[in-house]
Amino acid sequence: MAGVQYTLNRLVLMIPTFLLVMIIIFLLVRMLPGDPAVAIAGDKASDADIAAIRDKLGLNAPLWTQFWLFLTNTLQGDLGRSILMRAPVLDVIIARLPTTIFLAVYAISLSILIAGPLAFIAAINRGRWQDNVIRAVFQVGLSMPVFYIGLLLLTFLAAQLRLFPVGGFGETFLDRLYHLFLPSVTVALYTSAILMRNLRAAIIEVLDAEYVQFARAKGLPPRLILGRHVLKNALISTITLLGLSIGQLMSGTLVTETVFAVPGVGRLMLEAIFARDYPLIQGLTLTFAVLVSLVFLMTDLFQNWLDPRMRLS
Amino acid sequence: MKAAALAVGFALSTALGSLTIQTADAVERGGTLNFARYDGSKLVDPIYADRNPDIWMVGSLFSTLLEPSADGKDLVGSLAESYEVSADGKTVSLKLRNGANFSDGSPVTGEDVVFSLGRARNPDLGPWAGLLSAVSSVDASGADITISLSSPDPALLSMLATFNTAIVSKKAFDAAPGANDQEKSAALFAKGGPGLGSGPFYLSGFEQGTSMTFSANPHYWKEGEDGKPLPYLEGVHFQIIPDDATRVLKLTAGEVDVAEFIPFSRVAELDADPAIDMNLYPSTRIIYSPINTRDTRTDGSANPLADKRVRQAINYATNKEALIGLVLQGAGKPMSSPVMSSATRLATDMSPLYGYNLDKAKALVAEAGLKPGTEITLTTLAGSADDGTIFAALQQMWAPLGITLVAEQVDGATRGSKNRSGEFDIHTYGWVDDVNDPSQVTGWLGYYPTRKAVGTGWNNAEFNALYEASSSEMDPEKRADQYHQMQEIYAEAAPLLFMYETPFAVAVSGKVDGYLQTPLGNNVFERVFLER
Repeated sequence: MAGVQYTLNRLVLMIPTFLLVMIIIFLLVRMLPGDPAVAIAGDKASDADIAAIRDKLGLNAPLWTQFWLFLTNTLQGDLGRSILMRAPVLDVIIARLPTTIFLAVYAISLSILIAGPLAFIAAINRGRWQDNVIRAVFQVGLSMPVFYIGLLLLTFLAAQLRLFPVGGFGETFLDRLYHLFLPSVTVALYTSAILMRNLRAAIIEVLDAEYVQFARAKGLPPRLILGRHVLKNALISTITLLGLSIGQLMSGTLVTETVFAVPGVGRLMLEAIFARDYPLIQGLTLTFAVLVSLVFLMTDLFQNWLDPRMRLS
Repeated sequence: MKAAALAVGFALSTALGSLTIQTADAVERGGTLNFARYDGSKLVDPIYADRNPDIWMVGSLFSTLLEPSADGKDLVGSLAESYEVSADGKTVSLKLRNGANFSDGSPVTGEDVVFSLGRARNPDLGPWAGLLSAVSSVDASGADITISLSSPDPALLSMLATFNTAIVSKKAFDAAPGANDQEKSAALFAKGGPGLGSGPFYLSGFEQGTSMTFSANPHYWKEGEDGKPLPYLEGVHFQIIPDDATRVLKLTAGEVDVAEFIPFSRVAELDADPAIDMNLYPSTRIIYSPINTRDTRTDGSANPLADKRVRQAINYATNKEALIGLVLQGAGKPMSSPVMSSATRLATDMSPLYGYNLDKAKALVAEAGLKPGTEITLTTLAGSADDGTIFAALQQMWAPLGITLVAEQVDGATRGSKNRSGEFDIHTYGWVDDVNDPSQVTGWLGYYPTRKAVGTGWNNAEFNALYEASSSEMDPEKRADQYHQMQEIYAEAAPLLFMYETPFAVAVSGKVDGYLQTPLGNNVFERVFLER
């Protein structure tokens, strides 16, 4: 019961968060320099055309009227019409979202697959050559910009060795795994570097903890100590970090999707910003906010399950 | 103007002969061309196309009554096999070609022409209606079309070869779902399929921002060198790849056959690749920078650029050849006409237009009394490597004049707003003609009532009067003379920093033949074939 209550509380807390996100994004978009009517009509349009478009978009109405309209429409599931795509914002986002979610889940899975075992190896070999090599390689990954790693992978693995396609996203599930491998690795390299460092530190800390030493003294087999005591406890802080890095990962898709020509919401966001497509920017930001909030919620729930102390508090 | 009937067939064959040089038996039929684009189409409808990625594709799906020749300087027949202009210039008679069909096999009729031109000149619909403002009525009797004008319009024939007057099927349009023209247009585009246009292809697939597919129109009227109907290809598949480097990689990896908008820094490298033809197609694209000519800036301070001599001085102090070397790696040429590219009709060759002359520039600023250390802001596009290079070069080139050039980086939408409000000193800009007539670019750059002479605020009564007179001058010689005078006035007043012309850089796989991008930017696929 306590778990259900906790979940409900967390869900209710999300409402003010979304409201705040809506206010901030509404104001931020309107603070951007550049008139959306000019962006739509193009440089060649006359001043009369611009005025007509502003009127049609409702941009001449007072700010609070525009916000009220945005809020009430959004609550009814209407995110407006995209100026750039000439279609309902919701349809545009729904068409593109699965690709980005696929990319994000793929990248996170790869991050865990890369970071988990390596952090373990580094931690139990602390200070030895294995530890040094792993940390040095990840340091390089962490210090290089995402787009540069992407271009390097494209140039060598796709264009020269032809092991992977340069762009696109495939049709079937397996095809998608193959097409999105390079973009996912690009995003995963950065995330896994952070995860690896954190997990390594956490494992080292737990290895030194008294209850682990006690377990050793009791004569428990090392595999049981690592599995039951070390890993579970070291994961708590890493799960939090994993949740936080989803936000980072979402911003990573903006760049990755552009470099790898993946038609997801990250690339759509860039296009929307350049075109000053207010409804689409608002809709996308809200979508990102919902996604990130859901991930945080899941992180909390998972952490709650891992760490009984949180349930008591 | 004397009645002029054109031997359209002859002109057409001459123009197209220069376009393709392969012999008939070398032509392979079939296959799909894979094309990497920098940006996707949103709505390819003749009257609603307002961005280049839309405009440049209209011709593949829809035919016009006339069409530009291969070099973009003349007109040849397309759906109309002949045309005639009356002596008073107020009536244009055209005869529809026998055998011109829409992509579902139904014939193109006079009714379709009346319907399409009616849409094109309706100011409540698309943004291009103004181009047909002289037209008072369009009538059809069988294959004979009569266009009546309220006043003579020397640009009208060019407009009939422009994307916005392309012919759509009335039957297909009427049958489409939707409450109004916009909704019907969007529904037709979303659905695709044959029957709407009479171009060499029809739209057969579209995914917003991702891909687009054209399929061959089996009823297209044109024939190739082998005497068989065009197009040679079965279809064209477009992929949208906004990143320059990825587009090039796709081509070199063999995943696409054509990549457009190749960065000029990569041209030499691709040119050296034996598997790739690196094409630099002549274009009407010019790169220039509008100069604010108003007496005061928007913040109320005195504007040093209001003095014509200062504007002339910075033009003389700008080494265009050096800029071309830095930005385009040599793949360009200095502007030779102040208001248009050399590929635009009626362009006067005034080269060298403000050839590099630092001594003259220094004398002009001294005469104008420009204070040393005068600060001038160059507004550039954030993230544009070209603009960054231009700024760094101009800062050095103008320093000897005592000008401190500072950069202000903004995005495209902000630059557009600044241009309209006059909140700038100088900003980078570019232009490509949409219309096969010099009136559009000249009106844009110099005629004050259109757009305050590209936002510069330059308002010259003599220029404006010449422009208005040229808009109804049917004598080609007199019109050419008016354009010549306008170019002289404009060059002397220097409301722009005159920079350079750039070609369209398109890299094509060696197995592709017959691809063309016209000086207006239109992508032409009808004669493309793939070597097996």
